[in-house]
Amino acid sequence: MNFLKNHKKFIIPIVSVLCLFMISFSLNRAEPTFFESGIGYILTPVQEFNTSVIDWITSKFNALSNINEIESENEKLKEEVYSLQMEIDRLKLVEAENKKLSEVLKIDQKYSDYPKVGARIIAKDTSNWYDVFLIDKGSNDGIKKNMVVIASGGLVGKVSETGFNYAKVVSIIDDTDSVGAKSLRTDDIGFVRGDFENRGMCKMEYVDNDAEIMAGDEIVTSHLSDIYPPGITIGYVKDIKTDENTLTKCALISPTVDFKHLETVLVITENFKKNIK
Amino acid sequence: MRYFVTAVIIILNFIIQSTFLHSIEIINVIPNTGIIIVVSFAFMRGEYEGSAVGFAIGILQDIFFGQYIGMNALLSMLTGYFCGKFYVDFFTENFLIPLLMTSVSTFVYGFVFYVLNILLFGYTDVLYFLSNIILPETAYTSLFSVFLYKLFYIINEKLEKRETVKRKLF
Repeated sequence: MNFLKNHKKFIIPIVSVLCLFMISFSLNRAEPTFFESGIGYILTPVQEFNTSVIDWITSKFNALSNINEIESENEKLKEEVYSLQMEIDRLKLVEAENKKLSEVLKIDQKYSDYPKVGARIIAKDTSNWYDVFLIDKGSNDGIKKNMVVIASGGLVGKVSETGFNYAKVVSIIDDTDSVGAKSLRTDDIGFVRGDFENRGMCKMEYVDNDAEIMAGDEIVTSHLSDIYPPGITIGYVKDIKTDENTLTKCALISPTVDFKHLETVLVITENFKKNIK
Repeated sequence: MRYFVTAVIIILNFIIQSTFLHSIEIINVIPNTGIIIVVSFAFMRGEYEGSAVGFAIGILQDIFFGQYIGMNALLSMLTGYFCGKFYVDFFTENFLIPLLMTSVSTFVYGFVFYVLNILLFGYTDVLYFLSNIILPETAYTSLFSVFLYKLFYIINEKLEKRETVKRKLF
């Protein structure tokens, strides 16, 4: 401790250089270290608990406010309305659950050939720049790096890191990864990546200048993709521009998945990454 | 005791920031409560404690959500260091200076983060990012820091009282 106190002035520069080293080493790291996944192992259950608490509070709050409204309106029929409201709330919950489940079922039928596992989102990025999130399934449940994550609307992203009981998912609206894609109607091929300058949107780059792609076309993952299976919906074309630098077309795509209100996702537990030696 | 309380604050903040805060986001922006803690500790305890707290908060963010390990750690450590420089110049009872410092730090932090992580990917529309992410984040964080600094001030006061009592015993 005395040594640290005597050399106080050197601590900040040394740690700064250490940070720079770590940044350069982590530019292409494959797996989280033991230290990282250890911290994750401890913290993830707490985050999981927190997210359930938020859900619980929101559901209770909604139920309570409903009851209060009816109480003020019908003083006399309080008891009756109370019981009826309880019933309605219960049915509403069942209805919502039914809707959600049938949505999941629909997507299940669409991409039925791939084995999947459902997961809940437990924590989201603390910065305002990226849309990285954690799910409550990890290597313990057979999740591996580069597995594809989908939701009821379509493609969400891919798993970029796995801990024992959590996994980190990078979404397609982040410009950290690109997906091989094609337009379903015209079979034009391009690359889809997130667009930081239009938050929540994607852009499809390097589309051939003669391509007959137009607004409203459905964009799906192509067979040329390295880790993504073909045929998963990404989104719909909103606008098309010509890139002055490369003289190719660039399409703005609005993703079908609602990233703001995403709660549950499905992970395709099959690794499509081809092993080329 | 001080180490324990600080560690609890840091971990609790990380958990709240990644779960609860997302349900109160305004125009897609959440307040950066991490930087409030860094600034508060730096302002109340000096540059070395500030940078230690900054490093801990940054490395936690990097491990879970970071693109590169060390980026947030470096930035928030330097934030703590520079804010701690004001420790000798002001009384900690002053609530206006930390508010101002939080605003400036959040803005500078956001701008440097943009330059290092986003600008280098080819997104040159600075005004879009200023008006959509950096400035709203600064405003929201400043609003939060009014309450949070008072909270940390009370906690620090209690801890310091405890420490002086202990010293008097011997």
